[in-house]
Amino acid sequence: MTEVVLAIVLGALYALGTFLVLRRDVVRVVWGVTIISQATNVYLVTMGGIHGSIPIVSHGGGGHHAVTDPLVQALVLTAIVIGFGTTALALVLTYRLYQEHGTLDLQELATTEESQ
Amino acid sequence: MSAIVAAPLLVALGGAIGCLLMRSRPRLLRGVSLLGGVGYLLATVALARAVFADSDAILVYYLSGWQAPYGITLVADRLSVIFIGLTAIVSLAALWVSVRTIDASGQRISYHALYQFMVVGITGSFLTADIFNLFVWFEVMLMASYVLVVFHSGPEQTRAGMQYVVLNLLGSAVMLLAIGGLYATTGTLNMADLARRLAEPAAYGIAPGPVLGLTGLLLCVFALKAGLVPFQFWVPGAYQAAPPPVTAMLAGVVKKVGVYAIIRLYFSVFAVATIPDSGGLSVVAGEPFLVVFGGVILVMALLSILLGGIGATGRNNLDELLAYSSISQVGFIVLPLAVAATTLPGDSLFRAGVLATIVYAIIHGFAKGVLFLVSGAIEDHVGTLEFSQLGGISEQAPVLSGAFFVGGLTLIGIPPLFGFFGKLLVFKVGVEAQNTIGWIAVGATLIGAILTITYVTRAWERAFWGPPNEFVEELTVSPSVVAVIAGLAIIIIALGIGFQPVYELANGATSAVIDTDAYVRAVLGPESAHAIGGGLR
Repeated sequence: MTEVVLAIVLGALYALGTFLVLRRDVVRVVWGVTIISQATNVYLVTMGGIHGSIPIVSHGGGGHHAVTDPLVQALVLTAIVIGFGTTALALVLTYRLYQEHGTLDLQELATTEESQ
Repeated sequence: MSAIVAAPLLVALGGAIGCLLMRSRPRLLRGVSLLGGVGYLLATVALARAVFADSDAILVYYLSGWQAPYGITLVADRLSVIFIGLTAIVSLAALWVSVRTIDASGQRISYHALYQFMVVGITGSFLTADIFNLFVWFEVMLMASYVLVVFHSGPEQTRAGMQYVVLNLLGSAVMLLAIGGLYATTGTLNMADLARRLAEPAAYGIAPGPVLGLTGLLLCVFALKAGLVPFQFWVPGAYQAAPPPVTAMLAGVVKKVGVYAIIRLYFSVFAVATIPDSGGLSVVAGEPFLVVFGGVILVMALLSILLGGIGATGRNNLDELLAYSSISQVGFIVLPLAVAATTLPGDSLFRAGVLATIVYAIIHGFAKGVLFLVSGAIEDHVGTLEFSQLGGISEQAPVLSGAFFVGGLTLIGIPPLFGFFGKLLVFKVGVEAQNTIGWIAVGATLIGAILTITYVTRAWERAFWGPPNEFVEELTVSPSVVAVIAGLAIIIIALGIGFQPVYELANGATSAVIDTDAYVRAVLGPESAHAIGGGLR
């Protein structure tokens, strides 16, 4: 059941992210990219299976119950850290873009390119 | 297990950290950076000696001693060493030009550390045998290149940088998605283990259908990195925005990371997989994965050759012309792969195709390195690269122009230059194929070659011939920069005249690609790979 809910959430997140990426406003585009990369993280966790218990082996051995795959969680941690850095860079770049061009509208940015 | 595998990686990382520590001392900083570049070259030589000492050595290093497939594995075989060698030479030349041409404050702030981190990312991508680790190295390389592209942070740079960053962030998300999916479907991230499991999917409970889809997604990401049509939008903007030595690296080496990943994964690791009979893929059911990849690569290569070539012909700016030319040339690089994909890894045509791609990739690395460094030197002193403002450079700077001439001719493929053999091998693969795809490839190569002649001639005639105007008369490039660029040009001539050793090296690398079995055995242990050998050869 949880997996069905997560699948729907993932679909919604990707749709929202794609919608935002296609906007004219640069800030929205950056948000869109961020949402898509976060949705990917959620997807990774889902792929590892969320049925098992916490992947910590208790004292005296693990027992026979199924544990969730811990590897995907390590992968997601790495991906989150990378995503943090790139999002910060993209936001700074957006600010610099505004400073240099005085607009964040992609249409207007394209016309200034033509006029040069 | 041999620790020498990690040597180039560690040297570059040490260089990057050294540059961060020396920020307050500009002279020492430049020294550390150059030392890092030279050390990287030496480490590469040492690694190459270790790999080529034994005729088919595959050196493996398990990080922290975690055995494959559980830990991250670094592997140096003949394919990775060739690409690392290209990186070492081009990056050292570009580094020297950076030291001489990037303004002092820029160098002090962050340039050298970023440059070294970019080399770290490139090296890691060439060495890793783990697909998630490949993603991480891609990110290291890209994050440094994002900042380097917007380094001058003027209006043009911020706009091109934004485009570059957004496209690559989307690419990274897609790459992560594909890798996560591959892990969920195959249960492993190790390339050798992937190859072993895909060779007999039933034994490991793998459904090949989803794997095909996910690898297709991954192919789009590598095509984005390599700048193939329809993922080429970032190329002209980013190449014009980045400082010239960085552009030389982006075009010469960073693009090759995408090409390398395509060769390594699609023509070695995934090449052993077969499309299932059921699941709605009836047209290609029972065929190897390569049939689908080959078709996709063929279309991308043809479009790249035509679109890049036609685009380059119409440009009025030297940098833009070279950027479009680079789109077209990457088309040439991957075209033989499309022809190779019509056969299986045991076939001689497969070998010829992969070989042509490797040779052409090396040629393009050197040629574009020279061309972008020359255009950068011109831009630094003349202030513009518009053809209307240029002319007569050959009179003003004969050595620099000579280097451009050699680079241009090698793109066209005039003997005895290195480029001739690239074109020759690409044509040869097309003709030898004796099938429709082969003839399509020959036709496209012919049209692409004519377009190459057109735009190189145009660039030469507009920028380098004619009477020098008042801007060009000021052109005085520092002798050491000219010497480095001329050195790269001499390498192109030398590799053309002494092509035999290069051919041997590339042939060895091709064997490393084809012999997936040996790769699996080297990484996972001797008794692990019996399945693959029986499957295809």
